[in-house]
Amino acid sequence: MHHAHIDKFAYQDSPVHRLDSRVKFLVVLIFTAVVLSLPRTSVSILVCYAVGPFTILVLGRIPLKFAFKQILLVSPFILVLALSCPFYDRNPVSAAFGPFIGQVWAGWLRCFNIVGKFVVTMLALIALVSTTRFADLLTALRKLAVPKLLIIQLGFLYRYIFVLIDRAEHILRARAGRKLRSLGFKAELKTASSMLGSLFIRSLATAEHINIAMQARGFDGNWRCLSKLQFRRYDLLFVLVSAVFMLVLYFCVGHFLQ
Amino acid sequence: MHMANELLSVPVAAGTLAIAAGGLGIICRKARQVISSDKIALMGIMGAFIFAAQMINFQLPAMPGTSGHMVGAVLLAIILGPHAGAIVISSVVIIQCLIFQDGGLLALGCNIINMGLVPSYLGFFLYKSFTAGPFSNLRTYIGAMLGCVIAIEAGAVLVPIQAALSGVLVVPFATFLVTMLGVHLLVGFVEGLITVAVLGYIQQVRPDIVSDSLVGKVRLSRKAVLVSLAVFAIVIASGLSLFACGFPDGLEWSYAERPDQPDFGPMISNENPTIAKADDFQTRYSPLPDYSIRTSEMGKVTAEEINIAAGWTSFAGVTGAGLTMIFVWLTARILRRKNTVEA
Amino acid sequence: MPKAIEIENFSYHYPDGTCALSEINLSIEHGQRVALIGPNGAGKSTLLLAMAGFVKGEGKILIDDLTVEKKNLKRIRRTIGSCLENPDDQLFMPTLFDDVAFGPLNMGLETDEVKTRVNNVLQTVGLAEMADKAPHHLSAGQKRAAAIATILSMSPQIITLDEPDSSLDPANRNNLIKLLAGLSQTLIVATCNMNFAFATADRAVLVNNGHIIADGNAKRIMLDSDLMIKHGLEVPSITDNWIRLPRKSISTKSE
Repeated sequence: MHHAHIDKFAYQDSPVHRLDSRVKFLVVLIFTAVVLSLPRTSVSILVCYAVGPFTILVLGRIPLKFAFKQILLVSPFILVLALSCPFYDRNPVSAAFGPFIGQVWAGWLRCFNIVGKFVVTMLALIALVSTTRFADLLTALRKLAVPKLLIIQLGFLYRYIFVLIDRAEHILRARAGRKLRSLGFKAELKTASSMLGSLFIRSLATAEHINIAMQARGFDGNWRCLSKLQFRRYDLLFVLVSAVFMLVLYFCVGHFLQ
Repeated sequence: MHMANELLSVPVAAGTLAIAAGGLGIICRKARQVISSDKIALMGIMGAFIFAAQMINFQLPAMPGTSGHMVGAVLLAIILGPHAGAIVISSVVIIQCLIFQDGGLLALGCNIINMGLVPSYLGFFLYKSFTAGPFSNLRTYIGAMLGCVIAIEAGAVLVPIQAALSGVLVVPFATFLVTMLGVHLLVGFVEGLITVAVLGYIQQVRPDIVSDSLVGKVRLSRKAVLVSLAVFAIVIASGLSLFACGFPDGLEWSYAERPDQPDFGPMISNENPTIAKADDFQTRYSPLPDYSIRTSEMGKVTAEEINIAAGWTSFAGVTGAGLTMIFVWLTARILRRKNTVEA
Repeated sequence: MPKAIEIENFSYHYPDGTCALSEINLSIEHGQRVALIGPNGAGKSTLLLAMAGFVKGEGKILIDDLTVEKKNLKRIRRTIGSCLENPDDQLFMPTLFDDVAFGPLNMGLETDEVKTRVNNVLQTVGLAEMADKAPHHLSAGQKRAAAIATILSMSPQIITLDEPDSSLDPANRNNLIKLLAGLSQTLIVATCNMNFAFATADRAVLVNNGHIIADGNAKRIMLDSDLMIKHGLEVPSITDNWIRLPRKSISTKSE
């Protein structure tokens, strides 16, 4: 089950894991914005920006293969978008890289730009999520003024996704075991809706039990949390280093590179 | 339907994030009044249900090899009421972004609006207006169907608009819009069918759920709904009109930027958005001299010296970055090995 | 001294009219350990829920001399802690620590007091190193112990457990028995596993079809093979090792 995947790195120990989750979240957010705001034909400088998330991943002991596999999983739509650029924009444009000088379609630059930005921002997001325990991420969001009801909702959702996905898998397996040929749309729809319906009813029962458990422990509508985040000098250091990194790349290096 | 970061510019992303955040804030506050505390677990489970439900797929007719699955926004809104439904779907979108990296971090605002807020309220409103009055199966199903199709189309329409507002599109706007509308018509239709079928199943097993909103009575003030719909329509209309009237064709406006002065959160004045934006586009995207990559209307290569210098700096930048990464990786490995040896 | 649990003529019908519990009369003293035995569908779970005020029927239920009704529910749920059949339903917070802290926090205790209680309880059930883990990282046996921990942190006087041994392998079942043996609260354990009942309780209450069929000394009732078989159960195999586990002396009232 892929939930083992996602969580298992979050419980390791590393300099990155020890950072305050608020700090990580905000830095990644700003980093994403900075990368996104780069010109639409930048390609080389994206590689420079990639050093940031790369370092975080390495220091956080997150296998790069895992990170790239995740990226690959969610890339289809963006690849379609990127590859459509050379189709629509065949304006020849001069480009130079190292010893190579010549003409390429502007669309290709655009394509590489999109893919590059995608990879870099995704790496940053993966760096954030795989080095932070979800509970800490939620606490960070709570401290960043996200409404409490939404925080509760996210907590429950995360907790029970895998329970319900496992149930759905069982149901799918049961269908696979009994379905021997294609049945036609109407029958397919009927089967799928029965599966969904029974999953739904069962989920209602689970929700009712959880509610009983909550009431049994005195829940009265007021969600109380123990806050456990601490901003230390270590986190400040990280903020400064990240800020310097981004500023240097944006203003100085950005002048010379595209 | 999940938008990626690259479909947006920073200002549009920031704007939609603000709208989504503000919207969710209001909804959460309103929801706390309407939802009793013993429905909180239910909301959480329903979110997980949506995830699991999206795994249950079935073969689509006439499209061999592809399978469809439900989105669930309208079903949730019908069963939980629009406020709780919107919160649940928004939480699903957030988790999809954070845990499964489906949809970019900065695109979260857009995704919440397109797939959460708009379908929930629009779908619910359509469903309710159709099924107002004594409960009747047929009307429930038609209402659900209509709600699904229109709600999903509405969300789909917003995507090209948001992308175009960001000035990101290379594909012509019209093409993108038509493609999205077309594909999502089918998606909405399938969604409607499943929603109706699931509602039918639930109706047999737990009829109390369908005829009455699970989470308590929701009174959508007619006026509030109409005003919101009007605002929504205006936004869509101005978005569409902006691009209908003499929008520069895709080729011209993509590359006329100065690489040494990257876009820096451009200010877009809002008094008369249509005109201001048109102006903005004219000034920002007309070709400027003096950089190594520009569209040349004759297709000619620009000054070689500039290119050579630029080429080598790019190369230096990339190589430098690559070396840094290798250095970081090696250092980390050595330090780790040292730690394990000492320990 | 008031009894821990006093049930007088309690009946409950499901919304569709089926009778779940009928004319239940039951009296349990503080410090007793009672096994609620019976086949599937006998009404054991419903009875446990009724004790904690989750089920509204006819008749009277008193928990430590408090009538189970809406205005007393808050106090009653501090006195009687309910462990549900599926620990996944009880572990709903992002981390184990948060789950165990949930109860004390709802009781209005101060942060430091809550933290102390949580740490102590996790120590008692043997899950101290798992405090920061998410519930889905725990094994079945650990989840069961964790579920009990979430109740223990509220310091209840009475603990009810609904089929706590289900889906546990023999080793984990053994651990559970040891854990329960170390508790000083009044225990009511619903189970259809006779060996487990025998190892955990001194008194047995046999329930079937919503009625109490027999109530008395656990050994006497459970070794009556005709009675057991008639009600879909079996006689415990008394040659099993764990029955000889030493039990902590039971105080009449827990601290």
